[in-house]
Amino acid sequence: MHPNPWLLTRRHLLATAGAAPLLLSASAARAQGITPRRGGVLNIILNPEPPLLQIGVNNQTPTLICGTKMTQGLLKFSPTLEPLPELAKSWTISPDGLGYVFSLQDNVKWHDGQPFTADDVIFSVMTFNKEIAPRLRGVLAGIAECTAPDPHTVRFVLKQAFQPFLLCFDATAIPMVAKHVYDGTDFRTNPANSHPIGTGPFRFVEWQRGNFVRMERFPDYWKPGEPYLDGILWRVIPDGQSRRLAVETGQVQMSTATDIEPFDVPALRSAPNLDVTTKGWEYFSPLFWFEPNHRVPLFADKRVRRAMSMALDRNFIVQRLWFGLGKAATGPVSSTTRFYDPNAKLPTLDLAAATNLLDEAGLKPNAQGIRGSFKHLIPPYGEIWNRMGEYFRQAMAKIGFEVTLESTDAGTWASRVANWDYETTSNVLYQYGDPTLGVERSYVTSNIQKILFTNTSGYSNPKVDELFAAARLGATVEARQKAFNEVQELLVEDMPLLWVVEVAYPTITDKHLHNVIQLGTGDHACFDDVFLSA
Amino acid sequence: MNFARRFCRHPGAVIGLVVLILVIAMALLAPILFPGSPWDMAGAPFEPPGEDGMLLGTDSLGRDVAAGIAYGARVSLLVGAVSTVVSLFIGVALGAIAGYLGGLVDDLVMRFTEFFQTIPSFVLAILLVAIFTPSISSIIAAIAVVSWPPVARVVRAEFMSLRSREFVQAAQVLGKRPLGIVLTDILPNALSPIIVLASLMTASAILLESSLSFLGLGDPNLMSWGFLIGSGRSVIRLAWWMSVFPGLAIFATVLALNLVGEGLSDALNPRLRKRGAKP
Amino acid sequence: MDISSLLRFLLRRIIKSVLVVIAIVICNFLLIHAAPGDPATVMAGQSGSADPQFMAQLRHQFGLDLPLYEQLWIYLKGVLTLDLGFSHRMQVSVASLLLDRLPATLLLTGTSFVIAIVGGVTLGALAARRVGHWSDSAITVVALAFYATPLFWVGLMLVLLFSVKLEWLPSFGMSDPGSNLHGIALAWDICQHLVLPSLTLGLFYLAVYARLTRATMLEVLSQDFVKTARAKGVPESRVISVHVLRNALLPVITFAGIQAGQLIGGSILVETVFAWPGIGRLAFEALLARDYQVLMGVFFCTSVVVVIFNLLTDLLYAVVDPRVEVST
Repeated sequence: MHPNPWLLTRRHLLATAGAAPLLLSASAARAQGITPRRGGVLNIILNPEPPLLQIGVNNQTPTLICGTKMTQGLLKFSPTLEPLPELAKSWTISPDGLGYVFSLQDNVKWHDGQPFTADDVIFSVMTFNKEIAPRLRGVLAGIAECTAPDPHTVRFVLKQAFQPFLLCFDATAIPMVAKHVYDGTDFRTNPANSHPIGTGPFRFVEWQRGNFVRMERFPDYWKPGEPYLDGILWRVIPDGQSRRLAVETGQVQMSTATDIEPFDVPALRSAPNLDVTTKGWEYFSPLFWFEPNHRVPLFADKRVRRAMSMALDRNFIVQRLWFGLGKAATGPVSSTTRFYDPNAKLPTLDLAAATNLLDEAGLKPNAQGIRGSFKHLIPPYGEIWNRMGEYFRQAMAKIGFEVTLESTDAGTWASRVANWDYETTSNVLYQYGDPTLGVERSYVTSNIQKILFTNTSGYSNPKVDELFAAARLGATVEARQKAFNEVQELLVEDMPLLWVVEVAYPTITDKHLHNVIQLGTGDHACFDDVFLSA
Repeated sequence: MNFARRFCRHPGAVIGLVVLILVIAMALLAPILFPGSPWDMAGAPFEPPGEDGMLLGTDSLGRDVAAGIAYGARVSLLVGAVSTVVSLFIGVALGAIAGYLGGLVDDLVMRFTEFFQTIPSFVLAILLVAIFTPSISSIIAAIAVVSWPPVARVVRAEFMSLRSREFVQAAQVLGKRPLGIVLTDILPNALSPIIVLASLMTASAILLESSLSFLGLGDPNLMSWGFLIGSGRSVIRLAWWMSVFPGLAIFATVLALNLVGEGLSDALNPRLRKRGAKP
Repeated sequence: MDISSLLRFLLRRIIKSVLVVIAIVICNFLLIHAAPGDPATVMAGQSGSADPQFMAQLRHQFGLDLPLYEQLWIYLKGVLTLDLGFSHRMQVSVASLLLDRLPATLLLTGTSFVIAIVGGVTLGALAARRVGHWSDSAITVVALAFYATPLFWVGLMLVLLFSVKLEWLPSFGMSDPGSNLHGIALAWDICQHLVLPSLTLGLFYLAVYARLTRATMLEVLSQDFVKTARAKGVPESRVISVHVLRNALLPVITFAGIQAGQLIGGSILVETVFAWPGIGRLAFEALLARDYQVLMGVFFCTSVVVVIFNLLTDLLYAVVDPRVEVST
């Protein structure tokens, strides 16, 4: 049995388990020697206004960013995706990789005063999330046993070794909910979804629909002395320009994700009172791609797909359309996700080579220079998507494809893509730190379903399936890395999707706000040590 | 040429006509003035007007705003004209039926018209376009569907007054079929208000189309003036020229159409009472 | 006319209005359900997951798996008891959503309407009095200009000038939410936010009423009874205010009735540009999210408002014009 480097890291952390206060002061020290100041209300944008605030029941970005201040997970993750204690103060992994034991923090209370115990964890994992979170259903189904030897310890036994198991315990993936609030109810219509009861540093106060959500400091928060902020006010501002104005004039001190459009960012970067960062997306690593439907005969040929990829000027896209908020994608796995293979690279921009490939594939231009035509369905998520669609049309025109754009609304887009009723579309998906969790789902044959965010393109390659399976079940890091390297090279060759940008959304904060982006989950942290300086 | 003289007595109408001709000319000459496609990313993004040979600046993708306006004229004029024609068909048909036949039919058609006018027309247009997915045909259909009621009313009123005139009664006595009477005897005499209305309706159709595009319900493959303003709206502080110039184009065209409409109204029938029947 | 015939007229019109509203509700129901996609697909898509069992569950919850006529009947029954349904997307009752947002729209459209009528009639009357004078041409041209400009463009230009360049007025929202203002301070804050949006919406209709007033006044001024009044030696101001205006205002009143619906429609554009929290914007969001219950609630609401408004203008017309027969 060879030593498992991941286990070593765990044991090392265990040795420093009593180091929670050490970590606290570490983050404070990180704030360049400024002592955290208690007090002040943080005004932050909430856009678009989510229907609910309970993570799990709703997994849209605004719910996740807003909800994580109230609802927490067992772990949180550093920018290099190392697990850090949250509600679990320490953990051990058995040598065979099947047993995980979490030791919970002491004195954790729910916002309604009830104590947080191992029963809540078991309920959250095995009942609540299992039912309402389709993405991790597969992972949770792999749990053979989940028990509580005592009220502060939770023990998981897996059916098979699953390396990325710990990555699933971030608040955004498996949130901890109160058993006494959700047990026996219909999770989706439980009224607590609109005023969540969590263990987080802030508790819900009021929600004026169309206007704001107000949270206040939870006085019995399990970290003494925290949170520093008196409260958080989430302002609903539906209009893009209004949001920009709000940030510039200081009406809000923070914007996240897609609140501010890319073209507004350069001006905000040069504002003297603001900080702009693109850090904090390492855990999610959103990847933007153009997705051809493989059921359309034109796209079944990989030469056509490779030609289309070679017609895309990724640098232009990143600089001009995304205004530098990200980097050019190099393959199916983002550079910030584990097991990224820098050697698997996409072919470069080359229009001549692209047209040659199309000639080879039998697509000769007609009298007007057109080799083929297809439609592109634009997701209705904002200006940048429209611009990407327009760019796509122009780029394809350069290699002889006539593209017709289709615009639609959220519901229709979701239903058409889920039902494979499109020719091409674009998409952004999260990778969740490990290709098994976030990448595999888009390429394996077994995940070809009529559901969003599965392998909707219909790509199927048995060798790819084999490699992903090997990587999923791999017991060692080396074995998994080897399988992942091979599959990345294979995918880059096959080009099932046209990967374009590793997106890095900007977080814009007032210079007086500190400790905002410290984790790989960035804005999704619980903000218990965020403070406003004078 | 009494008509022309009466028309030219209106300086505003003459100016309007000139502007309209210029706009139409720009639309027709667009491929010559701006070769290539208006969607081509010809320059650097967000260039102010006058720089780099871009008379009116460039947009967020470096596309020439002037080219966009020229090609946009085609779309806006086309949508305006076609939807007006369709709307006229519907309105004239219904108005003629109601006005000529009278009685119960008239009652039914009028209730139907009133009902239509109670629904806020813009909201209905948005609903129709969104339901049938935005495309040039759904936009034209939606605009036509919400614009016909005033036509029907005007036509009905004309028909009702003309129906009792001698030449119509004569035709009826002669045994002419009703449809024949409507088409050859009544309609030509009711033409003047219809023509005036057509001009005004084209103007409001252009406004309606630009509003739909502005809200994001335009056809994504067509560079219309509304689309230009819509795409410029979010960057208004970065690039004011993207919103200002297409807006001026809409303003000039709609104004011209209105002036021409007024001129026509005076020229065709100097004593014609304006019924303020604008959609 | 006497009270009893007025009341009979009122009753007849109310019955007619109720029928019209019901007809509108049915039509909207059918229209909205003709749209592809339904609330279940949208919610599933939005929640980042969309497995079939979840969607089937949602559909059952929303009653979408019932036959169409049953859904319509359930809805109609609800409407008659003022239960306008429940928005599962927002997790609140539609009625409360509307109550929340309707005042904002009424404030906006009401203010715009007042600006339009008062400004329009005044300018139109002035222009008619000084027909041929340069002030008449000026007013006519300006009115025409405002009539020809797209609403949203005017709004954008006003924002550009007054908010961005001059920084005199706020450019979005109805009030400043974080500042916890009350009473007079809140009212003043709202007023400041109200200026640009109501001007935007009002200027267009101001132009309409100005032109209409001018046209009708000119017509009335040339009629015999005015000449007679003047010949009799009635002072000019009385001629204008009592005889001319009263008759000239009739088409304006009729038109105002028709315009009520347009005003609400126009508010969608203005509410979008200025992020005004009214029902226009609510309708648009509900449309995109296929939130049927909210959409139908908005339609119901607006048609009721329009119908009431039409009723009022009919009444006003009947009162103002002695020649109008109340038995319609």
